[in-house]
Amino acid sequence: MLRMRSLLPPLLFTLAYAVVSLGVTNSYYQLILTLVPVWAVFGLSWNLLSGYTGLISFGHAAFFGIGAYATALGQIYFDISPWLLIPVAAMLGGIAGLLIGFPTFRLQGHYFALAMLAYPLAILYVFEWLGFQEVTLPIKRDAPIAYMQFADPRFYTLLGLAIMLATIVLTQMIERSRFGMALLAIKQNEAAAEAAGINTLAWKLRAITLSGAIAAAIGGFYAQVLLVVTPQSVFGMLVSAQALTVAMFGGVGTVWGPVIGSVILIPLAEILHAEAGARIPGIQGVIFGIAIVCVILMAPEGLFWKLRDLVRKRSAKATTDVPPEAAAANVTTLKPAARQRAAKGEVMLEVKNLSRSFGGLKAVQDVSFKLHKNEILGIIGPNGAGKTTLFNLLNGFLKPSQGEVLIDGRNMSGQRPHVICEAGIGRTFQVMRPFLRMSILDNVVVGAYVRARSDDEARKMAADAVVRVGLSAVADRVAGELSTKELRLMELARAIAGQPRILLLDETLAGLGHGEADEVVAVIQQLARDGMTIAIIEHTMQAMVRLVDSFLVLDHGAVITEGLPEVVTRDSRVIEAYLGKKWVGHAAN
Amino acid sequence: MTAKSKITRRTLLAGASGTLIASRAAWAQQPSEVKVGLLVPISGLYARPGTVMREGAEMAIDHINTQGGVKALGGAKLKLVVLDSGDTTEKAKNAAQRMVAQETDLVAASGAYLSSFTLAVTEVTERANLPMLTLSYSDLITERGFKYVFQTAATAGSQARQALPQIIKLAETASGKRPKTVAILTDNTGASIASAKAMREGLLAENQLQLIVDETFTPPLADATSLVQKIRSAKPDLLFFLPTVISDAKLLLEKMNEFGLGQGKIPTISFGIAIAEPDMLQTVSPELLQGVLTCVASWGAKGHEALIAELKTRYKEPWMTQNAISTYGDMWVIKDALEKAGKADRVAVGEALRTMDGGPSKYYPLGEIKFDEKGRRVGAGMTIVQWQAGVPVTVFPPELALAKPFWPKS
Repeated sequence: MLRMRSLLPPLLFTLAYAVVSLGVTNSYYQLILTLVPVWAVFGLSWNLLSGYTGLISFGHAAFFGIGAYATALGQIYFDISPWLLIPVAAMLGGIAGLLIGFPTFRLQGHYFALAMLAYPLAILYVFEWLGFQEVTLPIKRDAPIAYMQFADPRFYTLLGLAIMLATIVLTQMIERSRFGMALLAIKQNEAAAEAAGINTLAWKLRAITLSGAIAAAIGGFYAQVLLVVTPQSVFGMLVSAQALTVAMFGGVGTVWGPVIGSVILIPLAEILHAEAGARIPGIQGVIFGIAIVCVILMAPEGLFWKLRDLVRKRSAKATTDVPPEAAAANVTTLKPAARQRAAKGEVMLEVKNLSRSFGGLKAVQDVSFKLHKNEILGIIGPNGAGKTTLFNLLNGFLKPSQGEVLIDGRNMSGQRPHVICEAGIGRTFQVMRPFLRMSILDNVVVGAYVRARSDDEARKMAADAVVRVGLSAVADRVAGELSTKELRLMELARAIAGQPRILLLDETLAGLGHGEADEVVAVIQQLARDGMTIAIIEHTMQAMVRLVDSFLVLDHGAVITEGLPEVVTRDSRVIEAYLGKKWVGHAAN
Repeated sequence: MTAKSKITRRTLLAGASGTLIASRAAWAQQPSEVKVGLLVPISGLYARPGTVMREGAEMAIDHINTQGGVKALGGAKLKLVVLDSGDTTEKAKNAAQRMVAQETDLVAASGAYLSSFTLAVTEVTERANLPMLTLSYSDLITERGFKYVFQTAATAGSQARQALPQIIKLAETASGKRPKTVAILTDNTGASIASAKAMREGLLAENQLQLIVDETFTPPLADATSLVQKIRSAKPDLLFFLPTVISDAKLLLEKMNEFGLGQGKIPTISFGIAIAEPDMLQTVSPELLQGVLTCVASWGAKGHEALIAELKTRYKEPWMTQNAISTYGDMWVIKDALEKAGKADRVAVGEALRTMDGGPSKYYPLGEIKFDEKGRRVGAGMTIVQWQAGVPVTVFPPELALAKPFWPKS
């Protein structure tokens, strides 16, 4: 049902487009109608990698050009039909994606973008050096159809549309699956995604392989339309830019973005070129540039999202007159209860002599402790004491310089985060990174995939996690509308959706008011009662004293004491670490 | 693509009776105006040469019309339709499609400057049976078996073949000794690569020249020092320098001068128009350019004095480059084909171009106004141009030379 509903809009769009194009006899307009799906597909291929993962590629022309040259050279030297060559081009593009992705994904952010920029430019010179400055497709007068050389230009449009429809459907399928969720999680926070059990490198490689294959296929088709291939026309900067332009104009991270961008921009550029350019040569570029700048200023995320926000706002105004208080009241509140200390059960996590230094700075030195089943351990210490570094060592973001982390008696130190997550450790982060445009439930699903075998199972586990933190009443609202407290609870739900046995909470109470903190504390207590083992970092003592079973106090990366809350809070070393020496005397009074 | 081309195709197949009807129809609606296309870059990176081509075309159209138009069509006037090919292959192809789809009554066209543009454009015009004249000289253009493309310039390979013996002869007569060693310094664009390839693969050996430095660079150059150092240490008798971008030409000439190799210490011979563009003078002093030779497809030459003067006064162009004179000539060739065809029909004009024998060429260097089965102009020559006192003038072939060549004294 859901699949049919999502399939309908692209089908209708493609059908309408086909009907319109069939009615166009002017071969020039038909060429423009062919180029729209070409650039839309190229934009979609870019979107698949960059739109969903947020890793901006300035070099998608590399794949496009490989496809175009494969299709052209295959015809010239081996006399193979493009019907066969385009799939071959897609394969080559996929391989190129894998080869490029593997080394390049070590880089992040701007560095990734710049490295990607280098590939098409380098390949461009290789093709020039090889002597392929100008390659023309041989004209096949005796078997035009077998060589995809149609006398009626409408066939090109229909073929382009078919490729576009296939790409849209594929993208939609990915968007809704574990694949798409993993990519979105990477976009929001790669570290968090890895901590949620997502093997980020594997998913990114899959994304760039698929993206490269699509780009190469459409590049091959483009060569067939253009009939001439030059390094500049398929590997040039402008080609890479075209993918970015249509996707960013239309909307990044949605299947409709590149399509909208292409449908508007490609004909616009041509009309300007034909009409304005005929009067004042060159003016077309100026108008086109200004138009893009204006749209980006007014709709920075692209037209699609702007329109969707407008529609949402309007429908929200029309339907919801329910006061926000009522909605907020829907959040099930659990009262914090005085906690019965858990008896010391079996050891879930054991840390032995863990150390990590950054150059001369010993961020964590020789830390040892045990986490027992069903226990809540508070790790406290002043700013810079090494608390978060300790967590990063526990869940695999950092490799310890020395020492061991034993989970169920197995040494897991030095493993990748997603491996440790699979072993049963979940964590939240000090800085929240919710997916603002997605519903709470969708946000939580990301965390469930580590345990779930199917998409349905993941949704069920996510829904369960949402209930456990008391957010079920607001589960369908988008994260952008939530309060800090609700976001903290949502993060908690995401961490428990993967059904970890041990939960690492990094300053979950930070930024909350008094009453709000109590509510979150209640949820955490309930989790502990249900059998979860929890370690929580915090530097405010108050709420912690009521929450935890025991404290571990860090200062300058080393454990200064550990024990029951009542004992630790009176410890003079703790007071000194927090307040300075002169307060030790006061506290004693 | 349209109703019109369908009629013409049927005409061809239907034979004599059909032709009779069609020609009578054409006679009945004898046009007072015949449209000719010009598809060149007038925006973007190549706007400057494209604009010069338009100037040449406009001048020719004016001259043809004031001299009575197309007489075979009752004095019909020619009308120029200019289309912008932009600065990418895709834009050029789109413009060509627009030309054949929307200007259905064009009888022929000229264009599209860069040979990669011409390759794409002619893929479209060929399918629309629109005759296309071009000054682009990539050999590939006329190697595809197309029937409606006509190359007025000598192809790149042929230009180098013609130029080399002349340059050696010039060096021998001027300096008294035959050059033995050469250096090639070329950028990696299509036309340059084609010329350099022809020289490396046989031409140099045929002329008993030894290649001692062979460097290829990617435009634009950031620094020419290492290139010039190689030349200084090798001391070749000749330097073949093949830039496409004006800034590269300037950079190298200045660096040569700085190293004491300039102004003829090592005679420099270029291929292509970049080094003789009027824009050169805006950045390079005439002294540095003095004596530099370049081999081009065509140039304002002897017999074109009036045209050169008109171009100067009308468009403020300091001299007549190949772009202006070739496009000027294209319009006259189209006019002659119209006279021969006797009707304003693209297929008939194409047939006329294939079969025409217009005698010795007036506006293109040497050869005849006659095209071989590939569409290449028969006997197409080339010109050698030399910078003399701040102006690049034609010095070869002798029958077209406006000045005597001199060999820079070392």
